[in-house]
Amino acid sequence: MTEERRMTLLIVAGLTAGLLGFSFITTGDLGDFAITVMSGLFQGMLLFLVASGLSIVFGLMDILNLAQGAFFMLGAYVGYEIHHAPGLMDAIPDANIRFVLSLIGAGAVGAVIGWMLERVMLRPLYVRPLFQLVLTFGVALVMLEGIKLVWGVRPRNWADTFSVLESSFTLFGQRFTLYRPFVILVGVALIFSIALLLNRTRIGIIIRAGVEDAEMVEALGINVRAVFTLVFTLGSAVAALGGGVAAPFLGASLELGNAFLLAAIAVVVLGGLGSYEGTAIASVLVGLSVAVVAKFTTQYINQPVWASITPMIVLVLILLIRPSGLFGKER
Amino acid sequence: MQGITAQTTMDRLRATVTSNWFYLALLALLIITPHAIGWFSGEGPFGTQVGRRFMVIGESVTWQGRLSQIFIFAILAMSYNLIFGFTGVISFGHALFFGIGGYMLGAMLRIDDFDSGLAMLLGVIGGLIIAGIASFIIGLVSLRLKGVYFAVFTLAVAEAVFIYFTRYGPTGAEDGFTFSEMPEVLEPTRNPLNFYYLSLAGAVLTFLFIRRLMYSPTGAIMLAIRENEDRAKSIGYNTLRYKIFSITIGGMIASFSGMLHVILNSKRVGPEMMGVNFTVEPLLMTIIGGIGTFLGPVIGAAGLRISETLLRDLIITIGDNEINIGDSWEVILGVLFILVVIIFPFGVVGTWTRWRASKQTQRMTEVINNSQIATSGD
Repeated sequence: MTEERRMTLLIVAGLTAGLLGFSFITTGDLGDFAITVMSGLFQGMLLFLVASGLSIVFGLMDILNLAQGAFFMLGAYVGYEIHHAPGLMDAIPDANIRFVLSLIGAGAVGAVIGWMLERVMLRPLYVRPLFQLVLTFGVALVMLEGIKLVWGVRPRNWADTFSVLESSFTLFGQRFTLYRPFVILVGVALIFSIALLLNRTRIGIIIRAGVEDAEMVEALGINVRAVFTLVFTLGSAVAALGGGVAAPFLGASLELGNAFLLAAIAVVVLGGLGSYEGTAIASVLVGLSVAVVAKFTTQYINQPVWASITPMIVLVLILLIRPSGLFGKER
Repeated sequence: MQGITAQTTMDRLRATVTSNWFYLALLALLIITPHAIGWFSGEGPFGTQVGRRFMVIGESVTWQGRLSQIFIFAILAMSYNLIFGFTGVISFGHALFFGIGGYMLGAMLRIDDFDSGLAMLLGVIGGLIIAGIASFIIGLVSLRLKGVYFAVFTLAVAEAVFIYFTRYGPTGAEDGFTFSEMPEVLEPTRNPLNFYYLSLAGAVLTFLFIRRLMYSPTGAIMLAIRENEDRAKSIGYNTLRYKIFSITIGGMIASFSGMLHVILNSKRVGPEMMGVNFTVEPLLMTIIGGIGTFLGPVIGAAGLRISETLLRDLIITIGDNEINIGDSWEVILGVLFILVVIIFPFGVVGTWTRWRASKQTQRMTEVINNSQIATSGD
């Protein structure tokens, strides 16, 4: 463990402790505090669902995929549609199973479109990374309009209820629905499964080597392009899956894409480009700080605007201390 | 002696004219355009007589508005090109400066019981100064960051300010605010022709300024930074200083275009001016026209704006379905984005220059080959 890494971990621990302590003192109520922490973790995990794909894709391929938010949005729409399809509703009355099906469907659609995008459009542009940025932006626009064409401008709110969403438990005198812990669980499961994939499989070794030096990996006779395609597909699929997971809470609307994209980019950069663990830690950190600031500002100064700015402020402050993000390497 | 000096001055003038004939012709064309349209449509460049009342409407007036819009976007795109195309720094927060200009001018003109001319002067100067200071500070703290980190930093700052202004009460939050007072001479609803010439002059001055700057030693260093910053640094230039200079100048020019935009846009100031769209538009215009070329951003702005106005009201009928192109303008924009990036990575001007250069090389090769044949034939 290097000196710098230890320092970074110290900063993260200090910030987290400071946030939690601040929230604990200012809320003054154990139940409220629990709600704040729960909501912080929940938002952090939602962010992570978008940011994880961005992070791996950027680390390996040096592409900041600006269409990632659009994939998230697409996932929300597809998930909603599958869950509420009349035919499926009759065939499978159990809402839980339909929810799982909708997640699989969202992930699959994201994977297919991500795969096509990489193969058809991004491939020719690996020599010009700047243009990939512009291209993905164009793709984001087209996807947004495509969604508008298919689903119209009317936002979809989750109409059907199901037991994971409905059932609740009581903690410190406050009622919690099971949905938030469920999303947090999905996020944590995703963090660990991707970490396993990266650290314990052959593909993972190739990906990590590719992050270090893609040309060298290619020189060793490994088809790096195929790995690029795989990773991009995976990133898009995870983002779409995230949309499906978030749909019961956020619904599906056209604002979803940009709202999450900017925060996700902030998280990836904050964690350090190319560092997967950095993205995971930064997601939680940003989620917590948003929740704490939201709680504090609504309780005391009644200006909720500060909560929406918080990710940006955290990003700017951390970049000033650590110019390459928390766990990023000097490039 | 007198004669020789006069001779050289005349020669210089002639040289300037012959080497810049294209720009001069374009300028002359733009100057007479409103009159020409007015003459052809028979309505005159100032407006039309409708019954007893003289109204500021007509074909010429409409086109003056559209062209003014193009000039404003051209100024914005040129300022973006200065940072992005000539210095090689990708900023995603350019809209912030555009918005600062608009808000500053709007805030000044909004004050009641205050001479509107003086208010406008104060607004313009104040907007330029504040945009300059803001971009200077952003550059100072963030230009040490590299590439994407800088891009995201600027995006974060601009987005934070944007979100803040969508909720900030005194400036009307999301709805923004309007102002009614302003010097009548420049008001686009009453004297569109004056405003047309004002924005044209702004665009021309910006163009000349950036060209002059890029031919100066400072400009050469900026180009060196774009090509290879590490090398420029190792030669001994303080590259940070030049990058800050570039972003400061770019920010000030952007704020100027923001002021013009506010005046033309029904004198309304809204937070969407600081939104991502006003960063993306100049980015797209620059890329379509040609990154790092003088005329590229102007052509990009004109092309994009004109195609938008023309396509807005176009309805295509395929079978029984009527498709309104205006509704799906964003799709076209997105597809355009993708196509340009894949097919014309150097933009219109870049591709044209490259094509001409290749033709020239070809011709020269032919000449050389011919002369070789001639000498060997001897």
